[in-house]
Amino acid sequence: MTQFISKKDLLSWLSQLLEDRYLVAPTKVDELTLFRQVDRVDDIVFDFDNTTLSPKEWFFPPSETLFYVERKDGGVELIPATIERETAIFGIRPCDARGMAMNDYPFLAEPADALYRQHRDKTTLVGLACLTTRPECFCTSMGSGPHDPANLDILLTEVADGYIVQVLTDKGKALLPDKLITAADVSPPPVPALSDVPSGDISEKMRRAFDDPFWDRLADRCIHCNICSYVCPTCYCFDVRDYTDKERIERVRSWESCQSPGFTRIAGGYDPRPTKGSRLRQRFAHKLLYFPEQFGALACVGCGRCVRACPVNIDIREIIQDVQQLGVKSEA
Amino acid sequence: MDLGEQIRNKAKELIEIETVDCVIGYERATDGVGARPLFAYKPEEVDRLIFDQTCTHNLAKYLLNRKDKATAIVVKPCDSRAINLLLNESQIQRDKLFIIGVACPGITKTGLNNTSEELQAACQICQQHTPVIYDFLVGEPPASEPDIAEAYADVAAMEGQSAEERRAFWEEQFSRCIRCYACRQVCPGCYCTECFVERLDPLWVGIRIAPEENEVWNTIRAFHLAGRCIACNECERVCPVNIPLSLLNRKLEEEVRELFNFQAGMDAETPAPFATYKKEEVFPEIG
Repeated sequence: MTQFISKKDLLSWLSQLLEDRYLVAPTKVDELTLFRQVDRVDDIVFDFDNTTLSPKEWFFPPSETLFYVERKDGGVELIPATIERETAIFGIRPCDARGMAMNDYPFLAEPADALYRQHRDKTTLVGLACLTTRPECFCTSMGSGPHDPANLDILLTEVADGYIVQVLTDKGKALLPDKLITAADVSPPPVPALSDVPSGDISEKMRRAFDDPFWDRLADRCIHCNICSYVCPTCYCFDVRDYTDKERIERVRSWESCQSPGFTRIAGGYDPRPTKGSRLRQRFAHKLLYFPEQFGALACVGCGRCVRACPVNIDIREIIQDVQQLGVKSEA
Repeated sequence: MDLGEQIRNKAKELIEIETVDCVIGYERATDGVGARPLFAYKPEEVDRLIFDQTCTHNLAKYLLNRKDKATAIVVKPCDSRAINLLLNESQIQRDKLFIIGVACPGITKTGLNNTSEELQAACQICQQHTPVIYDFLVGEPPASEPDIAEAYADVAAMEGQSAEERRAFWEEQFSRCIRCYACRQVCPGCYCTECFVERLDPLWVGIRIAPEENEVWNTIRAFHLAGRCIACNECERVCPVNIPLSLLNRKLEEEVRELFNFQAGMDAETPAPFATYKKEEVFPEIG
């Protein structure tokens, strides 16, 4: 027996959630599918492959105020930003749930990032299993899968007239009342098959490829925009700047990317990554070597967004394969 | 002989006799359907060159990275206008270039893993099917260029709206911008060593990825390309959140054409309107 919720009960449950929390869900914006805060259940899209941008923007927004400093009683007062309201995110895919878990490593390592921690604590993740996949999906090669319940509070799998429900955490239990769930004899749909991207000992191969001309050749084609970093669920770099006026300072952080020309430029003008090849290598070395060294997992979840969005077909699947082949000939 | 084969033959000859040390063209992308830029340095790499209606990229942008190096490049007509633009603005040297022009049938909307027969919007209204500068031409140029009455229909529709409607439309569009700067990075006309958005002193625009800052970015980007945009429409193609940048670009292109009778990149010699001063020019009254 499995647990089941009817489509009708799901919709009324989602409507109830709107009463005391933000509900974030996939919506159609022109031809895009974007996670948006919705005010009515009718705006939610249920039939989508995956969203154009990843759900990371709800934990690590494109821009966010960290704190204010204001004049008060002849001195100054620091006012930290706080997250008051609970949020439920509906429609997260398993790959993106893994992406959030990857971001927890850097953001929640002590000393934890206070704002990120609040976003995480105040948010409940309701996942939707993938019944179909895109050609560029490769989550099964990156530690997840189309029906993977890991890192979610609730996972829903669509079947006829409703969803199979897996309540996975106390947070999930608190969100979804037992009375809406019934026991039913429903078989889950088949898990869609995905093409394999074997990563083998990619971290070691990346280390050996550090000085390989491969990166400069790849950088010939790369236009060094920030699309890959910004659509990626696990890219977490940011810049911090102060917005000031006479009465108040506002400290803001915004997404930044290792692909930006000035990203590593320091006082005096020195840039340790002065070439396009060194910047491009950084993106893949971080995902496939440095992050695994520091936290024990590849910082790629196989969502395929960078593959889809790259204007010049810089394809991480191809890079993972090519880097493993580098030096094979010379060693033989 | 198909276009790809003609390009491969010429490219191989250029590499073998060392006229150039690199040919910039197109190869098949990893999805097996689309195209991507290829930098061919060796004869065996030349074998990967292709040309078909998926070859959307404006490769002229890459010449800015190879200013002092002898380079051959495959260009479509719009891309060839970018070469003229860069020659006109003294960014590249003609004697370092071998230009393989392609008479262009138009590029389709084919994207990654998505095959389409339909032409891209810019190609549907294109009035330049033969490159304006080349050393070697492949493909059959049309007998005459089409006269497309409706080239600015969407611009006219935008102009027909009230100021409030236009503001609401663009606020919504710009609110989506994630400031990835792909529009800038792909544009052959965007080559400032320090873009105004990265300048700290004076600070033209803050780092915040939010409607107000996004509006400054998108508006100034468009204005910096007035009289310089060569209509390849790559900025709009690469935008990950589908902002209709060509509406802005073509509005400005239309203004420059009407005021100065000038179209960017049609030749490498005509001084650009915003790089010249003529005493007889009178600023038009703004109604």
